Amino acid sequence: MKLPHYHMIAWLLLAIACLMSLLFGAGSIGPDSALGLLMGNDDPEARFVIMELRLPRLVVGLVTGLALGVAGALLQTLTRNPLAEPGLLGVSAGSAFAVTLAILLGATTASLTTLISQLGALAGCALVIAATRMQGVGQDPVRLVLAGATLTGLLLSLSSLVMLIDQRAADEIRFWVTGSVAGRSWDQLLATLPSMILAGLIIVAVVRPLASLALGEKVAMGLGHHPGLIRLAVILAVALLVGGATALAGPLAFVGLVVPFVARGFGGADIRKTLWLCLPLGPALIVSADTVSRLLVAPSEMPLGVITAIIGAPVLMIIIRSRRIPTL
Amino acid sequence: MTAATDTKTERASSRLAPTLSPSSPPRGFWLWRFNGAQHSLLLDRRAIAVNSILAILLAFSAIASLASGSLSISVPDILLTLQGNGSTIHSFVIQELRLPRFAAGALSGAALALAGCLMQTLARNRLATPGIIGIDNAATAFAVASIVSTTISLAPSAMALAGAATATAVAFGLAGATGTRGYRFIIAGLAIGAVSGAVTQVMLSGVALDDANAAYPWTVGSLNARNPTSVIVLTVGLGIGYLLSLAVRRGLSTLQLPESVAVSLGTRPGRVRFAALALSVLMTGFAVSVAGPVGLIALLGPELARTVSRPGRIPLTASALAGALLMTLSDLAGRTLLEPLEIPVGIVTALAGSPYLLWILLRKSPDISR
Repeated sequence: MKLPHYHMIAWLLLAIACLMSLLFGAGSIGPDSALGLLMGNDDPEARFVIMELRLPRLVVGLVTGLALGVAGALLQTLTRNPLAEPGLLGVSAGSAFAVTLAILLGATTASLTTLISQLGALAGCALVIAATRMQGVGQDPVRLVLAGATLTGLLLSLSSLVMLIDQRAADEIRFWVTGSVAGRSWDQLLATLPSMILAGLIIVAVVRPLASLALGEKVAMGLGHHPGLIRLAVILAVALLVGGATALAGPLAFVGLVVPFVARGFGGADIRKTLWLCLPLGPALIVSADTVSRLLVAPSEMPLGVITAIIGAPVLMIIIRSRRIPTL
Repeated sequence: MTAATDTKTERASSRLAPTLSPSSPPRGFWLWRFNGAQHSLLLDRRAIAVNSILAILLAFSAIASLASGSLSISVPDILLTLQGNGSTIHSFVIQELRLPRFAAGALSGAALALAGCLMQTLARNRLATPGIIGIDNAATAFAVASIVSTTISLAPSAMALAGAATATAVAFGLAGATGTRGYRFIIAGLAIGAVSGAVTQVMLSGVALDDANAAYPWTVGSLNARNPTSVIVLTVGLGIGYLLSLAVRRGLSTLQLPESVAVSLGTRPGRVRFAALALSVLMTGFAVSVAGPVGLIALLGPELARTVSRPGRIPLTASALAGALLMTLSDLAGRTLLEPLEIPVGIVTALAGSPYLLWILLRKSPDISR
């Protein structure tokens, strides 16, 4: 299969973003010494900063971006709604609330948090799908988003309430809740890995039926697929991806909106092409947003969710401003 | 309430419609003649009843707010203290702590609900309230800017006003040719709200932890961080804004008809829309500078008022009273439910109001436009 040249560009972007993420940071290790380490010089201080601080951050960013971009593309194809984004629809908020509750009840281990976060995301997904099946809401992309925003607000208020009641929970959650890829350990990363791989397998199995479902339920059934089964599998994959990403980096809105939007702009509406492009674009977005968040207010840091919101809100406006919202 | 007609035109109309004699007002109205029957007023009975009931409820919530707290004060003691004869501790608690807080809550709630009612009517969309289209978030961002930065010396009220005006201009500009009806306008507001919230976070993350804690109430909406000057500005602004919105109501209600009809009745649509929008922005800005982004009041207050008022009217007074009532009750609940913890009023209104908003959005036959 010969890939079009925009794939090369996307992967090149990702490579540049990764390099920048390793080279630039808030600490005393400037780009020259970081570059020196990568070239083979052995400077213990640079080695510590790069290997122990910036590299885990980079990898967490890669995983999160991958998961959120792909989950956004899947959810948009499934609901045939270009605005269906896990963060906007309340899926991320669902998993964030589940994690908050778990921490309130005393959970600390990384794997437990991941599982709970995924269960929360699954509940959020189920709510979204139930809303789209309702008469009228499914046909109106914007109404679904508004309902999702309301649900997000409700869940955030509940989380704030929990944080008010329990100071320990508040301290553990406060930075996480605005989204960040900093300070995550390899253990946490490893804990999310199995579910990510499982989600990948599900996607590989379900992507062709999903593409046929995009043509309409009757077409999919005529081709021998079960729409209900496809939906279930996609929801499961989205919940695994979003739940895993949220457990790692906190609820990040707009990533799943921007990445598939750009990917569709280059690759067209076919979910198979979109997914291939989301693979480099999602991580590239998160990694470069993270680098910017380190540099903008150095030596302190900006929450990553802030940067993604600032990038994502204009994209939301562009989609809304297009003459008619294209239904996928 | 104040559809005044002089007796001459009334006689003329009675000649045209002989069944309607001058002495018998339309059903559901009282006719009040004064000044030797030279002037007359038509009073809407239902509006009077609704407003009185809301005012009585507001008075009850005032007494409850003054009475409850970590030091509970009995009702006779409250009355004594208000007359100036209470004990020292009671007069300190009531006059320094609870009464200003109640006033701030009632005033900001009334201002928000009035702003919401005006904007809903203007946009003919019940979801077009300052909270949902992001105006209060933008006002908060600007107010926080004036608090955390030393370079901008404008008072929070003025900055919040500037933020509200900016966000409104951007929302209407982005909605552009698609008009204020429909969802695009609201999604534009959603995006503005998201960006403003992010900007607030940026400013808070850049400052020292103590300053950030001081500014935390701004991100959820609370009556704790109220600034006395802002409350005074709000009081004056609400008084003027309420009178002006009564003046603009007649034009607004003709705009509910098709625009050609409104124009032929002597309304200038552009002027009326601009006036209503400006009033709405003004009151949102002032209210936010006192209470922070408690946006759902601007939806819930008018909703409650419309439910109990005569259909087709623009319930300005009832909205203001209902907003004040909801705000003070929410603050009371936030103060007392988890004592000694205090839940910020913004969280209480979000918890109570979001399910209702979801219900509006997900109902089978949504009656979105008004």
